[in-house]
Amino acid sequence: MSNANGARRVVVTGMGAVTPIGLNVADLWASMHEGKCGVTELGGFPVDDLKILIAAQIKDFDPKVRLKHFQRDKLVMHADRYSWFAAAAADEAVRQSGLTFPVADPYRSACIIGSGAGGLTTYEQSYRALFLEGKRATHPLTLLRIIGSSASAHVGIEFGIKGPTFATCSACSTATHAIGIARDYIKNGVVDVAIAGASESVINYGTMKAWQALHVLSPEGCFPFAKKRNGTVLGEGAGVLVLESYEHAKARGATILAEIAGYGMTSDAKDMVNPDIEGPREAMRMALDDAQISPADIQYLNAHGTATTINDANETRAIKAVFGNHAKNLAISSTKSMTGHPLGAGGGIEAAACISAMREGWVPPTIGLDDPDPECDLDYIPNVGRKLDVTYAMSNSFAFGGLNAVLVFGPPPA
Amino acid sequence: MDEVGTKIVEILKKHMKEPRDDISMSTPLTDLKIESLDLAMIVFDIEDTFGIEIPYNANEDVEDFKTVGSVVDRVKELVAKGPAAAGAKA
Repeated sequence: MSNANGARRVVVTGMGAVTPIGLNVADLWASMHEGKCGVTELGGFPVDDLKILIAAQIKDFDPKVRLKHFQRDKLVMHADRYSWFAAAAADEAVRQSGLTFPVADPYRSACIIGSGAGGLTTYEQSYRALFLEGKRATHPLTLLRIIGSSASAHVGIEFGIKGPTFATCSACSTATHAIGIARDYIKNGVVDVAIAGASESVINYGTMKAWQALHVLSPEGCFPFAKKRNGTVLGEGAGVLVLESYEHAKARGATILAEIAGYGMTSDAKDMVNPDIEGPREAMRMALDDAQISPADIQYLNAHGTATTINDANETRAIKAVFGNHAKNLAISSTKSMTGHPLGAGGGIEAAACISAMREGWVPPTIGLDDPDPECDLDYIPNVGRKLDVTYAMSNSFAFGGLNAVLVFGPPPA
Repeated sequence: MDEVGTKIVEILKKHMKEPRDDISMSTPLTDLKIESLDLAMIVFDIEDTFGIEIPYNANEDVEDFKTVGSVVDRVKELVAKGPAAAGAKA
């Protein structure tokens, strides 16, 4: 398989997630079983004149509880909320992996945690203080909270990672790019272990205004592939994996959750908002080629499925172009129907969903799908999840700007 | 301890990992295990509380911040000059 040219195989040994429907992977997965929807009335700040009044917000996350055992990173409590989510998800993934950090050779570990927008809420609060409240100074840690690499730095400090540590940034493909790059670093022998994923927390007045102005948010809900869909719903959270070379995981007797069998990335190079078929299609093909499997080997596809009119129809066409006749047999779902759109973090949370589906033999649904759009005529697992043996799963992430990234997850190497 | 002193001790305690109750004017800041970044946050809080601006650069050793008493003296001096003299906006 993926070691045909002597490159190393890369496996997942830990998963972590913070989402509006579960503050860890177990709770997230239980919510997906229930078909729980994380979209609620927008709150937590003055909504003033906003027209869009719903979002999938995380309401019960307490960093003082969740991160109180952090030892090496003394400043995590002062970080932006997006870094808290990243730290909590990374911590969960690390615990599950059973790996002791720092690893024996800390230069052989990587920490790649991306974010579409970093500490955007800190920006907003600081500008409010400066421009509206007439404050003379911002909080001294403002800069450290804002920078988009702060989550990777916080996590890297806590776990003593001294190898490649940085953030990826590709809007809604951010986490998938981070996981893909980390996988390639391990595959090519740059490092043996990586913590990779992304985090996002941008639900504030200014962000809502900016998205509202783009007219892609739904005032009612996130209904991927449905006839009634009329836009996406902003979410927030983090999804982080622990990756290792197969040899590294095997040598320490780790429980291997899955293999990252393939990775593909392309860019439409065409349009900032309108997705193309070619870019997503080629990214899916590349990921299949990389995994050295054929389209018919995939049983479950976690779609990008944002519930915008154009994405879901376009993604359906791209899936048909790649999978041909098998497209009709493929179980597809958009878990964004439950989590909302966690923007850059999406691919990390959805990776956890794919791996959980493979491990349990159960695929999560697309909720809110009573009346499908005739243009979206595949099996999107409407409303209720189902039992299904999944050997290979694919996860799609397609971002504004036409930035596409696709992962293929396979079973633990025999 | 006067009002300025009490307020400053409260701010210091807020930024200490293990706040203690035996802080006096002669307590050296080094005894409070305050690191450079903590100091930046303490200065921010003091400026905010008293509406003053404290000339301070994290790259330099600051004589004014040796003991709790020296911080209190400096703050009183700046408060006496008034917000305008200290360059504060409001």
